[in-house]
Amino acid sequence: MNRLLVVDDEANIRLLYAEELKDEGYEVVTAASGAEALDKLQGSVFDLAVLDIKLKNESGIELLQKLVKERHDMPVILCSAFSCYKDDFSAWLADGYVVKSGDLTELKQEIGRVLAKKALKVKEV
Amino acid sequence: MNQECCWNREVIAAGECPNIGDDDKSLLSSLRRRVLEKCCDCALFKQDLVRFSESRHPLAPVFSLIHAEFQQQKTQIQSLASFLDNKTLEMRFMHELGSVLQSSVDLDEVLSVALTAITAGKGFGMNRAFLLLTDREEGVLHGYFGIGPRDLEEASQVWNEIAQNDMDLQTLAQNFRLNKLSAERAKFHNVLEQLTVPLANKDHVIIKALDGRHPVRIEGAFQHPDVPPELARLLGVDTFLLMPLISRNRRVGMIVADNCITHRTITDEDMHSLETFGFPVAFAIERASLYDKLQVELNRVTEAGKKLKEQQEVIVKMENMALVGRITSSIAHSVRNPLMIIGGFARSMLKNSSASDPKRTFIESIVDETRQLEGVLDEILNYSDSIYPTRDFWDVNQLIETALRDSADILTSLGYATGYSPGHDLQPVFIDFKQLSYCLRTILLNDIGGIGEDRTLAIFSQSGENVVTITIEDRSRHISQMELDRLLVPFSETRDLGTGLGMALCKTMLEKQGIPLSVQADEHEGLHYTIVLPTRKEEQP
Repeated sequence: MNRLLVVDDEANIRLLYAEELKDEGYEVVTAASGAEALDKLQGSVFDLAVLDIKLKNESGIELLQKLVKERHDMPVILCSAFSCYKDDFSAWLADGYVVKSGDLTELKQEIGRVLAKKALKVKEV
Repeated sequence: MNQECCWNREVIAAGECPNIGDDDKSLLSSLRRRVLEKCCDCALFKQDLVRFSESRHPLAPVFSLIHAEFQQQKTQIQSLASFLDNKTLEMRFMHELGSVLQSSVDLDEVLSVALTAITAGKGFGMNRAFLLLTDREEGVLHGYFGIGPRDLEEASQVWNEIAQNDMDLQTLAQNFRLNKLSAERAKFHNVLEQLTVPLANKDHVIIKALDGRHPVRIEGAFQHPDVPPELARLLGVDTFLLMPLISRNRRVGMIVADNCITHRTITDEDMHSLETFGFPVAFAIERASLYDKLQVELNRVTEAGKKLKEQQEVIVKMENMALVGRITSSIAHSVRNPLMIIGGFARSMLKNSSASDPKRTFIESIVDETRQLEGVLDEILNYSDSIYPTRDFWDVNQLIETALRDSADILTSLGYATGYSPGHDLQPVFIDFKQLSYCLRTILLNDIGGIGEDRTLAIFSQSGENVVTITIEDRSRHISQMELDRLLVPFSETRDLGTGLGMALCKTMLEKQGIPLSVQADEHEGLHYTIVLPTRKEEQP
């Protein structure tokens, strides 16, 4: 079972993601801040992280940079409330980008695509 | 003693004295004036004096002595009076010249006055003059201007004209500047081009005179050891004058003057007068040149001020952009997150509710309404994002391939086939990449309705003059040109034809970047989009 780390400062969004993604067969761990996310990453292995770009009092992009630096083998999907970040350089560091929506189909498809890509990469190695 | 002269008569009749003409009739009745002004030089009076000497009168030798001395004094006084008259005329001329030179900061006006003064009969009366100016940056003395007739015929014509009009120096110079300056410059163009001497050529006669800082009269130019033969041939005269123009120890230039038509001798007096004249001319030329430079600097400062103002406007605009960014960010989070939570949980509930659940309709309504609100929010955020485009140079292929990749999943799910034919030698285009990506995605995914059987999207790029043209052919969507035009108006009420703002927003975004979007609709052939992207910054509005 793939382990996902969901980072979002909104409790209800974390709850929604957790419920929906568990239904898809993932093990979901949530974090409300960058510090909590980094803390949970210590000693644990995650297959993928879903990260909100705008966290309370901190930038998700900065957290993305830390995650890529420290856990470069863990793919990250960015979630944002608005689409303009999609074409922003800073967001290109992520493996996927999804605009937040009540319809989580796109997010689920993106998670599936990124994990499949990761699995293919591991197989090639 | 019989006297022949009239010196012993108080009054004489007209014709009795051969030295008194019709203009001097007042002398006929004034013995004193007649003796002092006429008798001393009269041959009859001198004969009377000879006879007086022969009479052996004791006063005769003394009288002869006094008469000789008187004649000499009289000649000297006349000479001095003539000299003073000349000096007065010269002073008047210099005053007139000085007042013109001091009041002008226009180089052409100064040169017109200076060279007219040198060549005018009322001035120094030289036939021809050339002005050479110092170019410190190039390190040369170069021919700048010439004035004077080329031959006797032209000289006669010009001098007659001047004599008939009887103009003062200032009027003469003004007339020359207005009517003849360009023609004179063109006339001596060839001579002036050859009158360029490097300042470092210290052996050249002109540079020697410039360094010597005093006028030099060259005689026997064709045989002169210091005069290069080509200079003598160029001027075509044996005698000429070199007058350095020095201002505050700076070498401003040189005047080369000659009498190529009349061949009048250049006297020491000419040299001295011209030397006196040279100082104000040099000063006026330097001042006019400095004024020109000042004007250039002033223009630069004005230009810099203009740019600074533009920069200030850009800063204000950027501040506005930051404000818009903060507002949109705030809206995005304030509205989208709750919408997402409501819609997300509604979907979750819908997924887990049975088909017979009486509340299922309510939940479906919540899902539909939140979806619609999300769509409206997307459009508003994209519209606010379009207000201030950020442009840079981008690769067209990257732009199109990114848009195709982003739209691939949806297009494939709808059964669309896409094809891109890139043009040759495509220049980078100056665009806002984000906005262009959005526009291309919107065009590709545009849900206008009426999907036909031919589900192909063909994209082409082509290089043009300072532009790259993108063409998109969509044969699947059919709409009349009138309906399309309505769709391109922001917030127009054509909801039944599409998402409302998408296409209009694309048009607005592109227009703000000065990029024309042309869409041709044909109910049978489909839609044909043409976007012309600039490859140069200055093509932007």
